[in-house]
Amino acid sequence: MSGAEAWVIVVFASVVTYASRSVGIWFLADREVPVVVERALRHVGPAVLAALVASIAAGDGGSWPSIDVPELSALAVAAAVAWWHRNVLWSLSAGLVTFWLLLAVVG
Amino acid sequence: MPFVPDERSGPIDWEAVRDMVPLCIPAVPFGLVVGLAMSESAMPLAAGQTLSTTVFAGAAQLATVSLAGIASWWAVVLAVAVINARHVMYSAALAPMFREQPLWMRLISPMVLVDQQFALMSMYPSDDPRSVRRYYLTAGIGFWVVWQLTTAIGIVVGPAIPAGLRLGFAPAVMFTGLVVLSIRTSSTPRAAAAAAIAAAVVSGASVGLRDRLGILLGALVGVIVGSVVESRDRALS
Repeated sequence: MSGAEAWVIVVFASVVTYASRSVGIWFLADREVPVVVERALRHVGPAVLAALVASIAAGDGGSWPSIDVPELSALAVAAAVAWWHRNVLWSLSAGLVTFWLLLAVVG
Repeated sequence: MPFVPDERSGPIDWEAVRDMVPLCIPAVPFGLVVGLAMSESAMPLAAGQTLSTTVFAGAAQLATVSLAGIASWWAVVLAVAVINARHVMYSAALAPMFREQPLWMRLISPMVLVDQQFALMSMYPSDDPRSVRRYYLTAGIGFWVVWQLTTAIGIVVGPAIPAGLRLGFAPAVMFTGLVVLSIRTSSTPRAAAAAAIAAAVVSGASVGLRDRLGILLGALVGVIVGSVVESRDRALS
Protein backbone atom coordinates (compact mmCIF):
# COMPACT_ATOMS: atom_id res chain seq x y z
CA MET A 1 0.00 0.00 0.00
CA SER A 2 1.15 3.56 -0.64
CA GLY A 3 2.04 5.90 2.20
CA ALA A 4 -0.64 8.34 1.05
CA GLU A 5 -3.31 5.64 1.26
CA ALA A 6 -2.22 4.77 4.82
CA TRP A 7 -2.64 8.39 5.90
CA VAL A 8 -6.03 8.65 4.21
CA ILE A 9 -7.11 5.67 6.34
CA VAL A 10 -5.70 7.30 9.49
CA VAL A 11 -7.56 10.57 8.87
CA PHE A 12 -10.93 8.97 8.04
CA ALA A 13 -10.69 6.39 10.83
CA SER A 14 -9.97 9.21 13.31
CA VAL A 15 -12.88 11.33 12.09
CA VAL A 16 -15.33 8.43 12.12
CA THR A 17 -14.27 7.43 15.64
CA TYR A 18 -14.47 10.97 17.00
CA ALA A 19 -17.91 11.38 15.44
CA SER A 20 -19.24 8.23 17.09
CA ARG A 21 -17.93 9.34 20.49
CA SER A 22 -19.23 12.90 20.30
CA VAL A 23 -22.63 12.64 18.64
CA GLY A 24 -24.55 11.80 21.83
CA ILE A 25 -22.77 14.43 23.93
CA TRP A 26 -23.35 17.18 21.38
CA PHE A 27 -26.96 16.42 20.50
CA LEU A 28 -28.38 15.09 23.76
CA ALA A 29 -26.59 17.08 26.50
CA ASP A 30 -28.79 20.17 26.12
CA ARG A 31 -32.01 18.35 25.38
CA GLU A 32 -34.68 16.82 27.58
CA VAL A 33 -34.63 13.14 26.73
CA PRO A 34 -37.89 11.15 27.14
CA VAL A 35 -37.91 9.06 30.34
CA VAL A 36 -38.16 5.82 28.35
CA VAL A 37 -34.97 6.65 26.43
CA GLU A 38 -33.16 7.78 29.56
CA ARG A 39 -34.01 4.49 31.29
CA ALA A 40 -32.94 2.50 28.24
CA LEU A 41 -29.59 4.34 28.12
CA ARG A 42 -28.86 3.31 31.71
CA HIS A 43 -28.67 -0.30 30.49
CA VAL A 44 -26.04 0.51 27.86
CA GLY A 45 -23.21 -0.13 30.37
CA PRO A 46 -23.97 -3.71 31.41
CA ALA A 47 -25.20 -4.59 27.88
CA VAL A 48 -22.21 -3.37 25.82
CA LEU A 49 -19.61 -4.59 28.31
CA ALA A 50 -21.23 -8.04 28.49
CA ALA A 51 -21.42 -8.15 24.67
CA LEU A 52 -17.68 -7.31 24.52
CA VAL A 53 -16.85 -10.11 26.97
CA ALA A 54 -18.83 -12.67 24.97
CA SER A 55 -17.24 -11.57 21.71
CA ILE A 56 -13.68 -11.78 23.06
CA ALA A 57 -14.38 -15.08 24.84
CA ALA A 58 -15.92 -16.70 21.76
CA GLY A 59 -12.73 -15.92 19.89
CA ASP A 60 -11.96 -15.20 16.25
CA GLY A 61 -14.43 -16.66 13.80
CA GLY A 62 -15.37 -19.22 16.40
CA SER A 63 -18.87 -19.89 17.61
CA TRP A 64 -20.48 -19.76 21.03
CA PRO A 65 -20.08 -23.43 22.05
CA SER A 66 -16.35 -23.27 21.34
CA ILE A 67 -15.59 -21.53 24.64
CA ASP A 68 -13.41 -23.81 26.82
CA VAL A 69 -13.21 -24.68 30.50
CA PRO A 70 -10.28 -22.33 31.34
CA GLU A 71 -12.04 -19.33 29.78
CA LEU A 72 -15.43 -20.04 31.37
CA SER A 73 -13.89 -20.71 34.79
CA ALA A 74 -11.81 -17.53 34.64
CA LEU A 75 -14.89 -15.43 33.85
CA ALA A 76 -16.96 -17.15 36.57
CA VAL A 77 -14.25 -16.57 39.20
CA ALA A 78 -13.82 -12.92 38.09
CA ALA A 79 -17.59 -12.40 38.33
CA ALA A 80 -17.84 -14.00 41.78
CA VAL A 81 -14.92 -12.01 43.20
CA ALA A 82 -16.30 -8.76 41.76
CA TRP A 83 -19.66 -9.55 43.36
CA TRP A 84 -18.23 -10.15 46.83
CA HIS A 85 -15.33 -7.70 46.94
CA ARG A 86 -16.55 -4.96 44.56
CA ASN A 87 -12.95 -4.50 43.48
CA VAL A 88 -11.81 -4.74 39.84
CA LEU A 89 -8.17 -5.47 40.67
CA TRP A 90 -9.03 -8.46 42.89
CA SER A 91 -11.51 -9.70 40.30
CA LEU A 92 -8.99 -9.43 37.47
CA SER A 93 -6.17 -11.09 39.44
CA ALA A 94 -8.34 -14.00 40.60
CA GLY A 95 -9.70 -14.49 37.08
CA LEU A 96 -6.29 -14.47 35.39
CA VAL A 97 -4.69 -16.79 37.98
CA THR A 98 -7.58 -19.23 37.48
CA PHE A 99 -7.15 -18.96 33.70
CA TRP A 100 -3.40 -19.68 33.73
CA LEU A 101 -3.65 -22.50 36.28
CA LEU A 102 -6.31 -24.26 34.21
CA LEU A 103 -4.41 -23.63 30.96
CA ALA A 104 -1.37 -25.31 32.56
CA VAL A 105 -3.48 -28.27 33.71
CA VAL A 106 -5.69 -28.72 30.63
CA GLY A 107 -2.90 -27.74 28.24
CA MET B 1 -10.66 28.38 30.89
CA PRO B 2 -9.16 24.95 30.47
CA PHE B 3 -7.19 23.14 33.12
CA VAL B 4 -7.58 25.64 35.94
CA PRO B 5 -6.45 23.64 38.95
CA ASP B 6 -8.86 23.29 41.83
CA GLU B 7 -7.34 25.34 44.68
CA ARG B 8 -8.29 22.76 47.25
CA SER B 9 -7.08 19.62 45.59
CA GLY B 10 -4.99 20.31 42.47
CA PRO B 11 -5.62 19.27 38.86
CA ILE B 12 -5.23 15.52 39.44
CA ASP B 13 -8.06 13.51 40.97
CA TRP B 14 -6.31 10.69 42.82
CA GLU B 15 -9.54 8.78 43.16
CA ALA B 16 -9.66 8.63 39.34
CA VAL B 17 -6.07 7.38 39.24
CA ARG B 18 -6.89 4.69 41.79
CA ASP B 19 -9.96 3.60 39.82
CA MET B 20 -8.21 3.66 36.44
CA VAL B 21 -5.08 1.66 37.38
CA PRO B 22 -6.81 -1.74 37.51
CA LEU B 23 -8.41 -1.01 34.12
CA CYS B 24 -5.01 -0.11 32.65
CA ILE B 25 -3.45 -3.44 33.62
CA PRO B 26 -5.12 -5.63 30.96
CA ALA B 27 -4.79 -2.78 28.46
CA VAL B 28 -0.99 -3.05 28.70
CA PRO B 29 -0.68 -6.56 27.20
CA PHE B 30 -3.42 -5.66 24.71
CA GLY B 31 -1.46 -2.53 23.70
CA LEU B 32 1.65 -4.67 23.27
CA VAL B 33 -0.30 -7.01 20.97
CA VAL B 34 -1.55 -4.01 18.95
CA GLY B 35 2.04 -2.71 18.72
CA LEU B 36 3.21 -6.13 17.55
CA ALA B 37 0.52 -6.13 14.84
CA MET B 38 1.63 -2.64 13.78
CA SER B 39 5.20 -3.83 13.37
CA GLU B 40 3.97 -6.61 11.04
CA SER B 41 1.51 -4.43 9.10
CA ALA B 42 1.77 -3.08 5.56
CA MET B 43 1.02 0.29 7.11
CA PRO B 44 3.99 2.60 7.87
CA LEU B 45 4.84 2.58 11.61
CA ALA B 46 4.24 6.34 11.98
CA ALA B 47 0.70 5.94 10.60
CA GLY B 48 0.07 2.97 12.90
CA GLN B 49 1.23 4.82 15.99
CA THR B 50 -0.84 7.89 14.98
CA LEU B 51 -3.90 5.62 15.18
CA SER B 52 -3.12 5.14 18.90
CA THR B 53 -3.18 8.91 19.35
CA THR B 54 -6.31 9.82 17.40
CA VAL B 55 -8.41 6.65 17.14
CA PHE B 56 -7.36 5.27 20.56
CA ALA B 57 -9.34 2.02 20.35
CA GLY B 58 -7.60 -1.37 20.55
CA ALA B 59 -10.04 -3.48 18.54
CA ALA B 60 -10.44 -0.92 15.76
CA GLN B 61 -6.66 -0.42 15.57
CA LEU B 62 -6.07 -4.16 15.31
CA ALA B 63 -8.60 -4.37 12.49
CA THR B 64 -7.04 -1.39 10.70
CA VAL B 65 -3.45 -2.58 10.76
CA SER B 66 -4.36 -6.13 9.78
CA LEU B 67 -6.68 -5.04 6.94
CA ALA B 68 -4.32 -2.34 5.63
CA GLY B 69 -2.76 -3.47 2.38
CA ILE B 70 -5.38 -6.23 2.00
CA ALA B 71 -8.63 -4.28 1.78
CA SER B 72 -9.34 -0.97 0.03
CA TRP B 73 -9.05 2.14 2.18
CA TRP B 74 -12.79 2.72 2.40
CA ALA B 75 -13.40 -0.90 3.47
CA VAL B 76 -10.93 -0.37 6.32
CA VAL B 77 -12.66 2.87 7.35
CA LEU B 78 -16.03 1.11 7.20
CA ALA B 79 -14.73 -1.66 9.48
CA VAL B 80 -13.54 0.98 11.98
CA ALA B 81 -16.94 2.71 11.84
CA VAL B 82 -18.78 -0.55 12.59
CA ILE B 83 -16.42 -1.65 15.37
CA ASN B 84 -16.58 1.78 17.03
CA ALA B 85 -20.33 2.25 16.58
CA ARG B 86 -20.87 1.18 20.21
CA HIS B 87 -19.33 4.51 21.22
CA VAL B 88 -22.50 6.24 19.97
CA MET B 89 -24.32 4.54 22.81
CA TYR B 90 -21.61 5.60 25.28
CA SER B 91 -21.86 9.26 24.37
CA ALA B 92 -25.66 9.14 24.41
CA ALA B 93 -25.69 7.44 27.82
CA LEU B 94 -23.23 9.94 29.32
CA ALA B 95 -24.85 13.03 27.72
CA PRO B 96 -26.65 14.18 30.93
CA MET B 97 -23.23 14.39 32.59
CA PHE B 98 -22.20 17.05 30.05
CA ARG B 99 -25.24 19.25 30.57
CA GLU B 100 -23.25 21.65 32.74
CA GLN B 101 -19.87 21.23 31.08
CA PRO B 102 -18.25 24.01 29.00
CA LEU B 103 -17.70 23.74 25.26
CA TRP B 104 -13.98 22.91 25.50
CA MET B 105 -14.82 19.96 27.76
CA ARG B 106 -17.41 18.71 25.27
CA LEU B 107 -14.83 18.98 22.48
CA ILE B 108 -11.99 17.19 24.29
CA SER B 109 -13.99 14.48 26.08
CA PRO B 110 -14.91 12.35 23.05
CA MET B 111 -11.19 11.84 22.30
CA VAL B 112 -10.84 9.60 25.36
CA LEU B 113 -14.32 8.04 25.56
CA VAL B 114 -13.10 4.44 25.39
CA ASP B 115 -14.76 1.33 26.90
CA GLN B 116 -12.90 1.66 30.21
CA GLN B 117 -13.63 5.37 30.49
CA PHE B 118 -17.32 4.77 29.87
CA ALA B 119 -17.42 1.98 32.47
CA LEU B 120 -15.91 4.32 35.08
CA MET B 121 -18.11 7.30 34.23
CA SER B 122 -21.33 5.30 34.12
CA MET B 123 -20.75 4.44 37.78
CA TYR B 124 -19.66 7.95 38.81
CA PRO B 125 -22.16 10.26 40.57
CA SER B 126 -22.76 13.25 38.28
CA ASP B 127 -23.98 15.89 40.75
CA ASP B 128 -20.93 18.21 40.81
CA PRO B 129 -19.74 19.37 37.33
CA ARG B 130 -16.27 20.33 38.64
CA SER B 131 -15.51 16.98 40.17
CA VAL B 132 -16.95 15.19 37.13
CA ARG B 133 -14.54 17.19 34.98
CA ARG B 134 -11.46 16.47 37.12
CA TYR B 135 -12.33 12.79 37.40
CA TYR B 136 -13.06 12.44 33.67
CA LEU B 137 -9.90 14.20 32.49
CA THR B 138 -7.57 12.53 34.99
CA ALA B 139 -8.81 9.04 34.13
CA GLY B 140 -9.13 9.65 30.39
CA ILE B 141 -5.84 11.41 29.76
CA GLY B 142 -4.02 9.03 32.12
CA PHE B 143 -5.31 6.03 30.20
CA TRP B 144 -4.51 7.69 26.88
CA VAL B 145 -0.86 8.20 27.94
CA VAL B 146 -0.57 4.58 29.05
CA TRP B 147 -1.95 3.46 25.67
CA GLN B 148 0.54 5.59 23.68
CA LEU B 149 3.44 4.11 25.64
CA THR B 150 2.32 0.47 25.49
CA THR B 151 1.58 0.38 21.75
CA ALA B 152 4.92 2.06 21.04
CA ILE B 153 6.73 -0.44 23.28
CA GLY B 154 4.74 -3.26 21.65
CA ILE B 155 6.28 -2.45 18.27
CA VAL B 156 9.66 -3.33 19.81
CA VAL B 157 9.00 -6.06 22.41
CA GLY B 158 5.76 -7.60 21.08
CA PRO B 159 7.48 -10.54 19.38
CA ALA B 160 9.01 -11.58 22.75
CA ILE B 161 5.67 -12.19 24.56
CA PRO B 162 4.98 -15.94 24.93
CA ALA B 163 1.80 -16.75 22.98
CA GLY B 164 1.00 -19.46 25.57
CA LEU B 165 -0.05 -16.85 28.13
CA ARG B 166 -3.03 -15.99 25.88
CA LEU B 167 -2.95 -12.37 27.05
CA GLY B 168 -5.58 -11.42 24.50
CA PHE B 169 -8.09 -12.91 26.92
CA ALA B 170 -7.22 -10.55 29.81
CA PRO B 171 -9.62 -7.77 28.69
CA ALA B 172 -12.54 -10.24 28.78
CA VAL B 173 -11.72 -11.04 32.42
CA MET B 174 -11.53 -7.35 33.33
CA PHE B 175 -14.77 -6.43 31.55
CA THR B 176 -16.52 -9.30 33.37
CA GLY B 177 -15.63 -7.68 36.69
CA LEU B 178 -16.94 -4.35 35.38
CA VAL B 179 -20.23 -5.90 34.21
CA VAL B 180 -20.80 -7.37 37.68
CA LEU B 181 -19.93 -4.04 39.35
CA SER B 182 -22.27 -2.14 37.06
CA ILE B 183 -25.08 -4.56 37.99
CA ARG B 184 -24.32 -4.22 41.70
CA THR B 185 -24.28 -0.42 41.57
CA SER B 186 -27.39 -0.18 39.37
CA SER B 187 -30.60 1.23 40.83
CA THR B 188 -32.42 -1.57 38.96
CA PRO B 189 -30.08 -4.59 39.37
CA ARG B 190 -32.58 -7.14 38.03
CA ALA B 191 -33.01 -5.24 34.77
CA ALA B 192 -29.25 -4.59 34.50
CA ALA B 193 -28.53 -8.31 34.94
CA ALA B 194 -31.12 -9.20 32.30
CA ALA B 195 -29.55 -6.66 29.92
CA ALA B 196 -26.08 -8.12 30.47
CA ILE B 197 -27.15 -11.77 30.05
CA ALA B 198 -29.19 -11.09 26.89
CA ALA B 199 -26.35 -9.04 25.39
CA ALA B 200 -23.75 -11.73 26.13
CA VAL B 201 -25.87 -14.54 24.65
CA VAL B 202 -26.70 -12.65 21.44
CA SER B 203 -23.15 -11.32 21.01
CA GLY B 204 -21.63 -14.76 21.59
CA ALA B 205 -24.08 -16.45 19.24
CA SER B 206 -23.42 -13.92 16.47
CA VAL B 207 -19.62 -13.81 16.77
CA GLY B 208 -19.40 -15.18 13.21
CA LEU B 209 -20.75 -11.90 11.78
CA ARG B 210 -18.14 -9.78 10.03
CA ASP B 211 -16.47 -6.77 11.66
CA ARG B 212 -17.67 -7.85 15.10
CA LEU B 213 -21.16 -6.63 14.27
CA GLY B 214 -22.34 -9.07 16.93
CA ILE B 215 -21.16 -6.72 19.71
CA LEU B 216 -23.51 -4.02 18.45
CA LEU B 217 -26.36 -6.46 17.91
CA GLY B 218 -25.91 -7.97 21.38
CA ALA B 219 -25.75 -4.54 23.01
CA LEU B 220 -28.97 -3.40 21.31
CA VAL B 221 -30.86 -6.56 22.30
CA GLY B 222 -29.48 -6.21 25.86
CA VAL B 223 -30.68 -2.62 26.18
CA ILE B 224 -34.16 -3.60 24.93
CA VAL B 225 -34.41 -6.62 27.25
CA GLY B 226 -33.20 -4.52 30.21
CA SER B 227 -35.83 -1.86 29.48
CA VAL B 228 -38.61 -4.44 29.19
CA VAL B 229 -37.65 -6.10 32.48
CA GLU B 230 -37.41 -2.71 34.19
CA SER B 231 -40.85 -1.55 33.04
CA ARG B 232 -42.36 -4.91 34.09
CA ASP B 233 -40.74 -4.60 37.53
CA ARG B 234 -42.09 -1.06 37.85
CA ALA B 235 -45.58 -2.20 36.87
CA LEU B 236 -45.49 -4.97 39.49
CA SER B 237 -44.20 -2.85 42.36
